[in-house]
Amino acid sequence: MPKDFDIQAIAKLALIELNSEEESKLSEDLGIILEHVDALSTLSIDDSDMTIHPLGIELELREDTVQDGLDHKESMRNAPDEKDGFFQVPPSMD
Amino acid sequence: MVDISNLTLKEAHEGLKNKSFTALELIEESFKVAANSESVLHAHLLLMQDEAVADAKETDKRISKGKMLGELDGIPISIKDNMNLKGYGTTCSSKILANYVSPYDATVISKLKEKGTVFIGKTNLDEFAMGSSTENSAYGPSKNPWDPDCVPGGSSGGSAAAVSVGTALGSLGSDTGGSIRQPASFCGVVGFKPTYGTVSRYGLIAFASSLDQIGPFAKTAEDTKIIYEAISGYDTRDSTSIKLNQRELPEGQSAKVGVLKELMGEGIADDVKSEVEKVIKLLEKEGHEITEVSLPMTKMAISIYYLIAPAECSANLARFDGVRYGLRVDGKTSYEMTEKTRAEGFGDEVKRRILLGTYALSAGYYDAYYGQALKARNQVINEFKNVFKKVDYLISPTTPSTAFKFGEKTSNPLEMYMSDLCTIPANLAGIPAISIPTGLDKQGMPYSVQLMSPELTDISLLNFSSYVEKLVDFQDTPTKWRKDP
Repeated sequence: MPKDFDIQAIAKLALIELNSEEESKLSEDLGIILEHVDALSTLSIDDSDMTIHPLGIELELREDTVQDGLDHKESMRNAPDEKDGFFQVPPSMD
Repeated sequence: MVDISNLTLKEAHEGLKNKSFTALELIEESFKVAANSESVLHAHLLLMQDEAVADAKETDKRISKGKMLGELDGIPISIKDNMNLKGYGTTCSSKILANYVSPYDATVISKLKEKGTVFIGKTNLDEFAMGSSTENSAYGPSKNPWDPDCVPGGSSGGSAAAVSVGTALGSLGSDTGGSIRQPASFCGVVGFKPTYGTVSRYGLIAFASSLDQIGPFAKTAEDTKIIYEAISGYDTRDSTSIKLNQRELPEGQSAKVGVLKELMGEGIADDVKSEVEKVIKLLEKEGHEITEVSLPMTKMAISIYYLIAPAECSANLARFDGVRYGLRVDGKTSYEMTEKTRAEGFGDEVKRRILLGTYALSAGYYDAYYGQALKARNQVINEFKNVFKKVDYLISPTTPSTAFKFGEKTSNPLEMYMSDLCTIPANLAGIPAISIPTGLDKQGMPYSVQLMSPELTDISLLNFSSYVEKLVDFQDTPTKWRKDP
Protein backbone atom coordinates (compact mmCIF):
# COMPACT_ATOMS: atom_id res chain seq x y z
CA MET A 1 0.00 0.00 0.00
CA PRO A 2 1.50 3.38 -0.99
CA LYS A 3 2.27 5.50 2.09
CA ASP A 4 0.10 8.41 1.02
CA PHE A 5 -2.97 6.25 0.20
CA ASP A 6 -5.98 8.12 1.59
CA ILE A 7 -9.27 6.23 1.33
CA GLN A 8 -11.30 9.34 2.22
CA ALA A 9 -9.71 11.38 -0.58
CA ILE A 10 -10.33 8.56 -3.09
CA ALA A 11 -13.96 8.20 -1.95
CA LYS A 12 -14.43 11.96 -2.36
CA LEU A 13 -13.11 11.78 -5.93
CA ALA A 14 -15.34 8.78 -6.66
CA LEU A 15 -18.37 10.53 -5.11
CA ILE A 16 -19.20 7.62 -2.80
CA GLU A 17 -19.96 8.24 0.86
CA LEU A 18 -18.29 5.59 3.04
CA ASN A 19 -18.94 4.80 6.69
CA SER A 20 -15.98 4.10 8.97
CA GLU A 21 -16.46 0.34 8.79
CA GLU A 22 -16.35 0.48 4.97
CA GLU A 23 -13.30 2.76 5.06
CA SER A 24 -11.41 0.27 7.12
CA LYS A 25 -12.50 -2.84 5.12
CA LEU A 26 -11.96 -1.21 1.73
CA SER A 27 -8.53 0.13 2.74
CA GLU A 28 -7.54 -3.38 3.70
CA ASP A 29 -8.92 -4.89 0.47
CA LEU A 30 -7.35 -2.27 -1.77
CA GLY A 31 -4.05 -2.77 0.06
CA ILE A 32 -4.12 -6.49 -0.84
CA ILE A 33 -5.01 -5.76 -4.48
CA LEU A 34 -2.44 -2.96 -4.90
CA GLU A 35 0.27 -5.16 -3.44
CA HIS A 36 -0.60 -7.81 -6.05
CA VAL A 37 -0.72 -5.46 -9.03
CA ASP A 38 2.57 -3.89 -7.95
CA ALA A 39 4.20 -6.81 -9.80
CA LEU A 40 3.75 -4.72 -12.95
CA SER A 41 6.23 -2.13 -11.68
CA THR A 42 9.02 -4.71 -12.08
CA LEU A 43 8.48 -4.93 -15.86
CA SER A 44 10.85 -3.04 -18.18
CA ILE A 45 8.35 -1.98 -20.81
CA ASP A 46 8.87 1.78 -20.98
CA ASP A 47 9.11 1.78 -24.78
CA SER A 48 5.95 -0.30 -25.30
CA ASP A 49 2.83 1.26 -26.82
CA MET A 50 -0.28 1.75 -24.71
CA THR A 51 -3.10 -0.44 -25.98
CA ILE A 52 -6.63 0.93 -26.03
CA HIS A 53 -8.37 -1.11 -28.76
CA PRO A 54 -6.97 -4.64 -28.48
CA LEU A 55 -7.00 -5.08 -32.27
CA GLY A 56 -5.13 -1.82 -32.74
CA ILE A 57 -7.94 -0.35 -34.80
CA GLU A 58 -8.69 3.38 -35.00
CA LEU A 59 -12.06 4.11 -33.45
CA GLU A 60 -14.49 5.36 -36.05
CA LEU A 61 -17.11 8.01 -35.42
CA ARG A 62 -20.34 7.99 -37.41
CA GLU A 63 -21.23 10.83 -39.79
CA ASP A 64 -22.30 13.96 -37.92
CA THR A 65 -25.85 13.89 -39.23
CA VAL A 66 -29.15 14.02 -37.39
CA GLN A 67 -30.61 10.58 -36.74
CA ASP A 68 -33.62 9.28 -34.90
CA GLY A 69 -33.06 9.12 -31.15
CA LEU A 70 -35.11 9.05 -27.99
CA ASP A 71 -37.81 11.68 -27.88
CA HIS A 72 -38.02 14.04 -24.93
CA LYS A 73 -40.75 12.12 -23.14
CA GLU A 74 -38.85 8.83 -23.39
CA SER A 75 -35.63 10.52 -22.26
CA MET A 76 -37.33 11.79 -19.10
CA ARG A 77 -39.11 8.52 -18.34
CA ASN A 78 -36.57 7.33 -15.76
CA ALA A 79 -35.95 10.75 -14.18
CA PRO A 80 -35.99 10.58 -10.36
CA ASP A 81 -37.24 14.20 -10.24
CA GLU A 82 -38.48 16.41 -13.03
CA LYS A 83 -39.80 19.96 -13.39
CA ASP A 84 -41.06 21.64 -16.56
CA GLY A 85 -39.43 18.98 -18.70
CA PHE A 86 -36.01 19.34 -17.02
CA PHE A 87 -34.16 17.05 -14.59
CA GLN A 88 -34.46 18.65 -11.18
CA VAL A 89 -31.57 18.40 -8.69
CA PRO A 90 -30.70 20.03 -5.35
CA PRO A 91 -28.54 23.22 -5.46
CA SER A 92 -24.82 22.74 -6.13
CA MET A 93 -23.89 24.78 -3.04
CA ASP A 94 -25.33 24.77 0.44
CA MET B 1 -43.94 -34.26 -25.26
CA VAL B 2 -40.74 -32.31 -25.96
CA ASP B 3 -37.87 -32.81 -23.50
CA ILE B 4 -36.30 -29.37 -23.76
CA SER B 5 -33.57 -30.19 -21.23
CA ASN B 6 -32.05 -32.70 -23.65
CA LEU B 7 -32.71 -30.75 -26.82
CA THR B 8 -30.09 -28.66 -28.62
CA LEU B 9 -31.06 -25.42 -30.32
CA LYS B 10 -30.40 -27.01 -33.71
CA GLU B 11 -32.61 -30.01 -32.85
CA ALA B 12 -35.35 -27.68 -31.63
CA HIS B 13 -35.20 -25.83 -34.94
CA GLU B 14 -35.47 -29.11 -36.87
CA GLY B 15 -38.40 -30.15 -34.66
CA LEU B 16 -40.22 -26.88 -35.33
CA LYS B 17 -39.48 -27.00 -39.05
CA ASN B 18 -40.65 -30.61 -39.36
CA LYS B 19 -43.70 -29.82 -37.20
CA SER B 20 -42.75 -32.51 -34.63
CA PHE B 21 -43.87 -29.95 -32.05
CA THR B 22 -45.05 -26.35 -32.09
CA ALA B 23 -43.23 -23.27 -30.85
CA LEU B 24 -45.94 -22.91 -28.21
CA GLU B 25 -45.29 -26.45 -26.94
CA LEU B 26 -41.57 -25.70 -26.82
CA ILE B 27 -42.08 -22.51 -24.81
CA GLU B 28 -44.51 -24.25 -22.45
CA GLU B 29 -41.80 -26.85 -21.77
CA SER B 30 -39.35 -24.06 -21.14
CA PHE B 31 -41.58 -22.51 -18.48
CA LYS B 32 -42.28 -25.95 -16.98
CA VAL B 33 -38.54 -26.30 -16.35
CA ALA B 34 -38.55 -22.77 -14.92
CA ALA B 35 -41.43 -23.70 -12.58
CA ASN B 36 -39.47 -26.75 -11.40
CA SER B 37 -36.18 -25.00 -10.87
CA GLU B 38 -36.37 -21.22 -10.39
CA SER B 39 -37.31 -21.25 -6.70
CA VAL B 40 -34.01 -23.01 -6.01
CA LEU B 41 -31.71 -21.92 -8.84
CA HIS B 42 -32.82 -18.29 -9.26
CA ALA B 43 -31.33 -18.13 -12.75
CA HIS B 44 -33.71 -15.36 -13.82
CA LEU B 45 -34.49 -11.96 -12.33
CA LEU B 46 -37.46 -11.65 -14.67
CA LEU B 47 -39.50 -14.29 -16.50
CA MET B 48 -41.68 -13.10 -19.39
CA GLN B 49 -44.14 -15.95 -19.85
CA ASP B 50 -47.09 -14.03 -21.34
CA GLU B 51 -44.91 -12.26 -23.89
CA ALA B 52 -43.05 -15.49 -24.73
CA VAL B 53 -46.32 -17.35 -25.31
CA ALA B 54 -47.54 -14.56 -27.61
CA ASP B 55 -44.23 -14.59 -29.53
CA ALA B 56 -44.34 -18.39 -29.85
CA LYS B 57 -47.84 -18.17 -31.34
CA GLU B 58 -46.48 -15.71 -33.93
CA THR B 59 -43.75 -18.23 -34.81
CA ASP B 60 -46.36 -20.96 -35.21
CA LYS B 61 -48.34 -18.72 -37.56
CA ARG B 62 -45.22 -18.12 -39.66
CA ILE B 63 -44.44 -21.84 -39.75
CA SER B 64 -47.97 -22.69 -40.86
CA LYS B 65 -47.58 -20.20 -43.71
CA GLY B 66 -44.15 -21.57 -44.66
CA LYS B 67 -42.46 -18.31 -43.66
CA MET B 68 -40.13 -19.41 -40.89
CA LEU B 69 -37.48 -16.74 -40.26
CA GLY B 70 -34.53 -19.08 -39.78
CA GLU B 71 -32.85 -21.23 -37.19
CA LEU B 72 -33.69 -18.96 -34.25
CA ASP B 73 -37.39 -18.53 -35.00
CA GLY B 74 -39.37 -19.73 -31.97
CA ILE B 75 -36.24 -20.58 -29.96
CA PRO B 76 -36.39 -19.71 -26.23
CA ILE B 77 -33.47 -17.44 -25.34
CA SER B 78 -32.70 -15.62 -22.11
CA ILE B 79 -30.77 -12.38 -21.78
CA LYS B 80 -28.31 -11.29 -19.11
CA ASP B 81 -29.89 -8.41 -17.25
CA ASN B 82 -27.24 -5.89 -18.29
CA MET B 83 -28.62 -5.58 -21.83
CA ASN B 84 -31.45 -3.24 -22.71
CA LEU B 85 -34.72 -4.81 -23.83
CA LYS B 86 -37.17 -2.00 -24.57
CA GLY B 87 -39.99 -1.64 -22.08
CA TYR B 88 -38.46 -3.92 -19.44
CA GLY B 89 -36.17 -3.33 -16.49
CA THR B 90 -32.40 -3.61 -16.82
CA THR B 91 -31.17 -3.90 -13.25
CA CYS B 92 -27.57 -5.09 -13.74
CA SER B 93 -28.41 -6.87 -10.45
CA SER B 94 -27.91 -3.52 -8.72
CA LYS B 95 -30.15 -1.59 -6.36
CA ILE B 96 -29.15 1.58 -8.20
CA LEU B 97 -31.11 0.43 -11.29
CA ALA B 98 -33.96 -1.29 -9.43
CA ASN B 99 -36.68 0.76 -11.13
CA TYR B 100 -34.99 1.59 -14.43
CA VAL B 101 -37.00 0.81 -17.56
CA SER B 102 -35.07 0.41 -20.83
CA PRO B 103 -36.16 3.01 -23.38
CA TYR B 104 -34.49 1.20 -26.31
CA ASP B 105 -33.26 -2.18 -27.52
CA ALA B 106 -29.60 -3.18 -27.50
CA THR B 107 -28.35 -3.99 -31.00
CA VAL B 108 -28.09 -7.70 -30.13
CA ILE B 109 -31.74 -7.64 -29.03
CA SER B 110 -32.87 -5.93 -32.27
CA LYS B 111 -30.97 -8.54 -34.28
CA LEU B 112 -32.53 -11.46 -32.37
CA LYS B 113 -36.02 -9.93 -32.67
CA GLU B 114 -35.57 -9.85 -36.45
CA LYS B 115 -34.88 -13.59 -36.32
CA GLY B 116 -38.09 -14.39 -34.43
CA THR B 117 -36.32 -15.41 -31.20
CA VAL B 118 -38.56 -15.82 -28.18
CA PHE B 119 -37.21 -13.99 -25.13
CA ILE B 120 -38.12 -15.90 -22.00
CA GLY B 121 -36.53 -13.67 -19.40
CA LYS B 122 -33.59 -11.73 -18.03
CA THR B 123 -30.91 -13.53 -16.08
CA ASN B 124 -29.11 -12.87 -12.83
CA LEU B 125 -25.51 -11.65 -12.66
CA ASP B 126 -22.94 -10.26 -10.28
CA GLU B 127 -23.74 -6.58 -9.84
CA PHE B 128 -22.66 -4.71 -13.00
CA ALA B 129 -20.97 -7.95 -14.15
CA MET B 130 -18.31 -7.64 -11.46
CA GLY B 131 -17.70 -11.04 -9.92
CA SER B 132 -17.24 -14.73 -10.58
CA SER B 133 -20.05 -16.41 -8.63
CA THR B 134 -23.26 -14.26 -8.74
CA GLU B 135 -22.74 -13.78 -5.00
CA ASN B 136 -22.48 -10.04 -5.74
CA SER B 137 -26.05 -9.80 -7.07
CA ALA B 138 -28.16 -7.39 -5.01
CA TYR B 139 -31.09 -9.76 -5.59
CA GLY B 140 -29.47 -12.92 -4.22
CA PRO B 141 -27.24 -15.45 -5.96
CA SER B 142 -28.10 -18.03 -8.60
CA LYS B 143 -27.32 -21.68 -7.83
CA ASN B 144 -25.51 -24.30 -9.86
CA PRO B 145 -27.99 -26.81 -11.42
CA TRP B 146 -25.50 -29.68 -10.87
CA ASP B 147 -25.30 -28.93 -7.14
CA PRO B 148 -27.16 -25.96 -5.63
CA ASP B 149 -24.54 -25.75 -2.85
CA CYS B 150 -22.07 -24.64 -5.51
CA VAL B 151 -21.89 -21.32 -7.34
CA PRO B 152 -22.87 -21.24 -11.02
CA GLY B 153 -19.88 -18.98 -11.74
CA GLY B 154 -20.11 -15.41 -12.85
CA SER B 155 -20.73 -12.87 -13.71
CA SER B 156 -23.20 -14.39 -16.25
CA GLY B 157 -24.13 -17.18 -13.80
CA GLY B 158 -27.87 -16.92 -14.41
CA SER B 159 -27.45 -17.29 -18.17
CA ALA B 160 -25.25 -20.38 -17.76
CA ALA B 161 -27.64 -21.96 -15.24
CA ALA B 162 -30.66 -21.26 -17.50
CA VAL B 163 -29.07 -23.16 -20.41
CA SER B 164 -27.72 -25.92 -18.21
CA VAL B 165 -31.09 -26.69 -16.63
CA GLY B 166 -32.93 -26.34 -19.94
CA THR B 167 -35.12 -23.28 -19.36
CA ALA B 168 -33.43 -21.65 -22.34
CA LEU B 169 -31.87 -23.22 -25.43
CA GLY B 170 -29.47 -20.31 -25.68
CA SER B 171 -28.59 -17.28 -23.66
CA LEU B 172 -26.65 -14.06 -24.03
CA GLY B 173 -23.94 -13.10 -21.58
CA SER B 174 -21.14 -10.57 -21.47
CA ASP B 175 -17.48 -11.41 -20.91
CA THR B 176 -15.02 -8.84 -19.57
CA GLY B 177 -12.55 -11.20 -17.88
CA GLY B 178 -14.24 -14.58 -18.27
CA SER B 179 -17.84 -13.82 -17.36
CA ILE B 180 -19.20 -16.11 -20.10
CA ARG B 181 -16.58 -18.88 -20.14
CA GLN B 182 -16.15 -19.37 -16.39
CA PRO B 183 -19.89 -19.87 -15.63
CA ALA B 184 -20.22 -22.01 -18.78
CA SER B 185 -17.46 -24.19 -17.38
CA PHE B 186 -19.03 -24.41 -13.91
CA CYS B 187 -22.49 -25.25 -15.32
CA GLY B 188 -21.36 -27.71 -18.02
CA VAL B 189 -22.47 -25.73 -21.08
CA VAL B 190 -20.68 -24.05 -23.99
CA GLY B 191 -19.81 -20.36 -23.58
CA PHE B 192 -18.18 -18.27 -26.29
CA LYS B 193 -16.43 -14.91 -26.06
CA PRO B 194 -16.08 -13.54 -29.60
CA THR B 195 -13.30 -11.36 -31.01
CA TYR B 196 -13.56 -7.91 -29.45
CA GLY B 197 -15.57 -5.61 -31.72
CA THR B 198 -17.40 -8.28 -33.72
CA VAL B 199 -20.58 -8.00 -31.62
CA SER B 200 -21.97 -4.53 -30.96
CA ARG B 201 -21.93 -3.38 -27.34
CA TYR B 202 -24.66 -0.77 -27.98
CA GLY B 203 -27.25 -1.25 -25.27
CA LEU B 204 -24.97 -3.31 -23.03
CA ILE B 205 -24.47 -1.41 -19.77
CA ALA B 206 -20.74 -0.73 -19.91
CA PHE B 207 -18.37 -2.09 -17.29
CA ALA B 208 -14.88 -1.97 -18.89
CA SER B 209 -15.32 -0.84 -22.47
CA SER B 210 -12.00 -2.05 -23.91
CA LEU B 211 -12.66 -5.56 -22.57
CA ASP B 212 -16.47 -6.10 -22.57
CA GLN B 213 -17.86 -8.39 -25.24
CA ILE B 214 -21.31 -9.93 -25.62
CA GLY B 215 -21.44 -13.62 -26.52
CA PRO B 216 -23.66 -16.71 -26.46
CA PHE B 217 -24.22 -19.72 -24.21
CA ALA B 218 -25.73 -22.94 -25.56
CA LYS B 219 -25.46 -26.70 -25.20
CA THR B 220 -23.15 -27.12 -28.22
CA ALA B 221 -20.57 -25.13 -30.16
CA GLU B 222 -22.80 -25.42 -33.23
CA ASP B 223 -25.65 -23.75 -31.32
CA THR B 224 -23.38 -20.94 -30.10
CA LYS B 225 -22.32 -20.42 -33.71
CA ILE B 226 -25.95 -19.99 -34.77
CA ILE B 227 -26.44 -17.30 -32.12
CA TYR B 228 -23.07 -15.65 -32.81
CA GLU B 229 -23.83 -15.37 -36.52
CA ALA B 230 -27.17 -13.75 -35.69
CA ILE B 231 -25.80 -11.13 -33.26
CA SER B 232 -22.46 -10.20 -34.85
CA GLY B 233 -21.81 -7.47 -37.41
CA TYR B 234 -20.66 -3.89 -37.73
CA ASP B 235 -22.73 -1.28 -35.91
CA THR B 236 -22.32 2.47 -36.30
CA ARG B 237 -23.69 2.90 -32.77
CA ASP B 238 -20.61 1.25 -31.23
CA SER B 239 -17.38 3.06 -32.12
CA THR B 240 -15.31 -0.03 -31.25
CA SER B 241 -17.31 -2.19 -33.66
CA ILE B 242 -15.20 -3.58 -36.51
CA LYS B 243 -15.81 -4.24 -40.20
CA LEU B 244 -12.99 -6.71 -40.80
CA ASN B 245 -13.82 -10.08 -42.31
CA GLN B 246 -13.24 -13.45 -40.73
CA ARG B 247 -10.11 -15.46 -41.58
CA GLU B 248 -10.14 -19.23 -41.93
CA LEU B 249 -7.96 -21.68 -40.03
CA PRO B 250 -7.62 -25.45 -40.47
CA GLU B 251 -10.64 -26.93 -38.67
CA GLY B 252 -10.02 -30.67 -38.79
CA GLN B 253 -7.09 -33.03 -38.36
CA SER B 254 -4.50 -30.68 -39.86
CA ALA B 255 -5.06 -28.08 -37.12
CA LYS B 256 -2.00 -27.37 -34.98
CA VAL B 257 -2.73 -27.02 -31.28
CA GLY B 258 -0.60 -25.28 -28.65
CA VAL B 259 -0.75 -26.16 -24.96
CA LEU B 260 -0.38 -23.02 -22.90
CA LYS B 261 2.38 -23.88 -20.43
CA GLU B 262 1.67 -21.11 -17.91
CA LEU B 263 -1.96 -22.25 -17.53
CA MET B 264 -1.01 -25.88 -16.88
CA GLY B 265 1.11 -25.20 -13.81
CA GLU B 266 0.86 -23.39 -10.50
CA GLY B 267 -2.61 -22.38 -9.35
CA ILE B 268 -4.46 -25.02 -11.41
CA ALA B 269 -5.98 -28.05 -9.65
CA ASP B 270 -4.36 -31.39 -10.58
CA ASP B 271 -7.64 -33.00 -11.65
CA VAL B 272 -8.38 -30.03 -13.95
CA LYS B 273 -4.96 -30.41 -15.57
CA SER B 274 -5.53 -34.16 -16.03
CA GLU B 275 -8.84 -33.44 -17.75
CA VAL B 276 -7.16 -31.07 -20.23
CA GLU B 277 -4.44 -33.68 -20.81
CA LYS B 278 -7.18 -36.22 -21.57
CA VAL B 279 -8.47 -33.96 -24.36
CA ILE B 280 -4.92 -33.35 -25.62
CA LYS B 281 -4.41 -37.13 -25.89
CA LEU B 282 -7.62 -37.42 -27.92
CA LEU B 283 -6.28 -34.79 -30.30
CA GLU B 284 -2.90 -36.52 -30.51
CA LYS B 285 -4.64 -39.78 -31.34
CA GLU B 286 -6.30 -38.02 -34.28
CA GLY B 287 -2.86 -37.04 -35.55
CA HIS B 288 -2.81 -33.37 -34.53
CA GLU B 289 0.52 -31.65 -34.05
CA ILE B 290 0.57 -30.64 -30.37
CA THR B 291 3.18 -28.15 -29.14
CA GLU B 292 3.81 -26.72 -25.72
CA VAL B 293 3.93 -22.93 -25.98
CA SER B 294 4.84 -20.25 -23.49
CA LEU B 295 3.27 -16.84 -22.94
CA PRO B 296 5.19 -15.51 -19.91
CA MET B 297 3.06 -12.36 -19.68
CA THR B 298 -0.06 -14.39 -18.85
CA LYS B 299 1.36 -14.50 -15.31
CA MET B 300 0.80 -10.76 -15.19
CA ALA B 301 -2.74 -10.96 -16.62
CA ILE B 302 -4.61 -10.63 -13.30
CA SER B 303 -2.52 -7.58 -12.35
CA ILE B 304 -3.06 -5.93 -15.72
CA TYR B 305 -6.77 -6.67 -15.66
CA TYR B 306 -7.32 -5.39 -12.12
CA LEU B 307 -5.92 -2.02 -13.12
CA ILE B 308 -7.53 -1.61 -16.55
CA ALA B 309 -11.00 -2.96 -15.69
CA PRO B 310 -11.48 -0.92 -12.48
CA ALA B 311 -10.10 2.20 -14.20
CA GLU B 312 -12.62 1.89 -17.02
CA CYS B 313 -15.39 0.92 -14.59
CA SER B 314 -14.79 4.00 -12.45
CA ALA B 315 -15.29 6.17 -15.54
CA ASN B 316 -18.26 4.21 -16.93
CA LEU B 317 -20.15 4.04 -13.64
CA ALA B 318 -19.77 7.78 -13.04
CA ARG B 319 -23.05 8.10 -14.97
CA PHE B 320 -24.98 6.66 -12.01
CA ASP B 321 -25.29 9.95 -10.18
CA GLY B 322 -28.98 10.03 -9.23
CA VAL B 323 -29.74 12.79 -11.74
CA ARG B 324 -31.21 11.23 -14.89
CA TYR B 325 -32.17 7.67 -14.02
CA GLY B 326 -31.96 5.06 -11.31
CA LEU B 327 -31.96 5.45 -7.56
CA ARG B 328 -31.80 8.88 -5.93
CA VAL B 329 -31.11 9.43 -2.24
CA ASP B 330 -31.79 13.01 -1.17
CA GLY B 331 -29.01 15.34 -0.05
CA LYS B 332 -28.69 19.04 0.72
CA THR B 333 -26.51 19.64 -2.33
CA SER B 334 -26.28 17.81 -5.64
CA TYR B 335 -22.84 16.45 -4.61
CA GLU B 336 -24.21 15.12 -1.34
CA MET B 337 -27.15 13.60 -3.23
CA THR B 338 -24.76 11.79 -5.58
CA GLU B 339 -22.49 10.59 -2.77
CA LYS B 340 -25.44 9.21 -0.80
CA THR B 341 -27.08 7.69 -3.89
CA ARG B 342 -23.91 5.82 -4.84
CA ALA B 343 -23.31 4.78 -1.21
CA GLU B 344 -26.74 3.17 -1.01
CA GLY B 345 -27.08 2.02 -4.61
CA PHE B 346 -23.78 0.19 -5.15
CA GLY B 347 -22.73 -3.06 -3.45
CA ASP B 348 -19.33 -3.79 -1.88
CA GLU B 349 -17.55 -5.20 -4.94
CA VAL B 350 -18.68 -2.35 -7.20
CA LYS B 351 -17.49 0.21 -4.64
CA ARG B 352 -14.18 -1.64 -4.31
CA ARG B 353 -13.58 -1.54 -8.06
CA ILE B 354 -14.69 2.07 -8.51
CA LEU B 355 -12.34 3.17 -5.72
CA LEU B 356 -9.47 1.09 -7.09
CA GLY B 357 -10.03 2.55 -10.56
CA THR B 358 -10.34 6.09 -9.24
CA TYR B 359 -7.04 5.65 -7.43
CA ALA B 360 -5.29 4.15 -10.47
CA LEU B 361 -6.42 7.11 -12.60
CA SER B 362 -5.72 9.84 -10.03
CA ALA B 363 -3.07 12.51 -10.51
CA GLY B 364 0.40 11.20 -9.73
CA TYR B 365 -0.53 7.52 -10.13
CA TYR B 366 -1.89 7.36 -13.69
CA ASP B 367 1.44 6.49 -15.35
CA ALA B 368 2.55 4.06 -12.66
CA TYR B 369 -0.68 2.09 -12.61
CA TYR B 370 -3.01 2.59 -15.59
CA GLY B 371 -0.28 3.59 -18.06
CA GLN B 372 1.94 0.67 -17.07
CA ALA B 373 -1.03 -1.72 -17.36
CA LEU B 374 -1.80 -0.51 -20.90
CA LYS B 375 1.83 -1.08 -21.92
CA ALA B 376 1.84 -4.53 -20.33
CA ARG B 377 -1.39 -5.33 -22.18
CA ASN B 378 0.40 -4.55 -25.42
CA GLN B 379 3.08 -7.09 -24.46
CA VAL B 380 0.39 -9.73 -23.88
CA ILE B 381 -1.06 -9.05 -27.34
CA ASN B 382 2.39 -9.35 -28.95
CA GLU B 383 3.05 -12.65 -27.19
CA PHE B 384 -0.24 -14.09 -28.48
CA LYS B 385 0.60 -12.88 -32.03
CA ASN B 386 3.96 -14.65 -31.92
CA VAL B 387 2.49 -17.88 -30.58
CA PHE B 388 -0.20 -17.91 -33.27
CA LYS B 389 2.55 -17.90 -35.92
CA LYS B 390 3.34 -21.44 -34.73
CA VAL B 391 -0.07 -22.91 -33.84
CA ASP B 392 -3.68 -22.46 -34.97
CA TYR B 393 -5.43 -22.94 -31.62
CA LEU B 394 -4.49 -22.85 -27.96
CA ILE B 395 -5.86 -25.22 -25.36
CA SER B 396 -5.97 -24.64 -21.60
CA PRO B 397 -8.25 -25.15 -18.63
CA THR B 398 -11.13 -22.62 -18.52
CA THR B 399 -10.98 -22.39 -14.73
CA PRO B 400 -8.39 -23.31 -12.08
CA SER B 401 -10.94 -25.63 -10.40
CA THR B 402 -14.46 -26.95 -10.88
CA ALA B 403 -17.35 -24.99 -9.30
CA PHE B 404 -16.67 -23.93 -5.71
CA LYS B 405 -19.10 -23.66 -2.79
CA PHE B 406 -20.91 -20.48 -1.74
CA GLY B 407 -18.86 -18.33 0.62
CA GLU B 408 -15.63 -20.15 -0.20
CA LYS B 409 -13.94 -17.17 -1.84
CA THR B 410 -15.71 -14.13 -0.41
CA SER B 411 -13.36 -13.19 2.45
CA ASN B 412 -10.39 -12.12 0.30
CA PRO B 413 -11.14 -10.36 -3.02
CA LEU B 414 -7.95 -11.65 -4.59
CA GLU B 415 -9.01 -15.28 -4.13
CA MET B 416 -12.15 -14.63 -6.16
CA TYR B 417 -10.16 -12.72 -8.79
CA MET B 418 -7.86 -15.75 -9.23
CA SER B 419 -10.78 -17.82 -10.53
CA ASP B 420 -10.44 -15.81 -13.77
CA LEU B 421 -6.76 -16.67 -14.15
CA CYS B 422 -7.24 -18.69 -17.35
CA THR B 423 -9.88 -16.52 -19.02
CA ILE B 424 -8.51 -12.98 -18.61
CA PRO B 425 -5.64 -13.28 -21.16
CA ALA B 426 -8.10 -13.64 -24.09
CA ASN B 427 -9.92 -10.45 -23.03
CA LEU B 428 -6.65 -8.53 -22.82
CA ALA B 429 -5.70 -9.73 -26.31
CA GLY B 430 -9.21 -9.28 -27.78
CA ILE B 431 -9.11 -12.80 -29.25
CA PRO B 432 -11.98 -15.31 -29.43
CA ALA B 433 -12.15 -18.00 -26.74
CA ILE B 434 -14.61 -20.72 -25.89
CA SER B 435 -15.28 -23.10 -23.02
CA ILE B 436 -16.62 -26.56 -23.85
CA PRO B 437 -17.69 -29.17 -21.27
CA THR B 438 -15.69 -32.40 -21.24
CA GLY B 439 -16.78 -34.50 -18.26
CA LEU B 440 -17.61 -34.58 -14.55
CA ASP B 441 -15.36 -34.64 -11.49
CA LYS B 442 -15.75 -37.03 -8.54
CA GLN B 443 -18.38 -34.77 -6.99
CA GLY B 444 -20.33 -34.73 -10.24
CA MET B 445 -19.37 -31.16 -11.18
CA PRO B 446 -18.53 -30.31 -14.80
CA TYR B 447 -15.02 -30.13 -16.24
CA SER B 448 -14.21 -28.12 -19.36
CA VAL B 449 -11.44 -26.99 -21.65
CA GLN B 450 -10.83 -23.57 -23.11
CA LEU B 451 -9.86 -23.12 -26.75
CA MET B 452 -8.51 -19.84 -28.11
CA SER B 453 -7.60 -18.68 -31.62
CA PRO B 454 -6.28 -15.53 -33.31
CA GLU B 455 -8.47 -12.44 -33.71
CA LEU B 456 -11.22 -12.72 -36.33
CA THR B 457 -11.10 -16.51 -36.61
CA ASP B 458 -14.30 -16.95 -34.58
CA ILE B 459 -16.07 -19.19 -37.08
CA SER B 460 -13.07 -21.49 -37.46
CA LEU B 461 -12.77 -21.68 -33.66
CA LEU B 462 -16.46 -22.60 -33.36
CA ASN B 463 -16.13 -25.26 -36.09
CA PHE B 464 -12.99 -26.67 -34.49
CA SER B 465 -14.80 -26.71 -31.12
CA SER B 466 -17.61 -28.79 -32.66
CA TYR B 467 -14.95 -31.21 -33.87
CA VAL B 468 -13.37 -31.39 -30.37
CA GLU B 469 -16.84 -31.87 -28.85
CA LYS B 470 -17.36 -34.93 -31.02
CA LEU B 471 -14.01 -36.39 -29.92
CA VAL B 472 -14.84 -35.77 -26.24
CA ASP B 473 -18.44 -36.96 -26.58
CA PHE B 474 -19.79 -35.49 -23.32
CA GLN B 475 -23.51 -34.70 -23.41
CA ASP B 476 -24.70 -35.01 -19.81
CA THR B 477 -27.12 -32.46 -18.40
CA PRO B 478 -28.37 -32.07 -14.83
CA THR B 479 -31.47 -34.24 -14.56
CA LYS B 480 -33.21 -33.55 -11.26
CA TRP B 481 -35.19 -30.52 -12.44
CA ARG B 482 -37.30 -32.36 -15.01
CA LYS B 483 -40.18 -33.72 -12.94
CA ASP B 484 -43.56 -32.10 -13.46
CA PRO B 485 -44.37 -29.29 -10.99
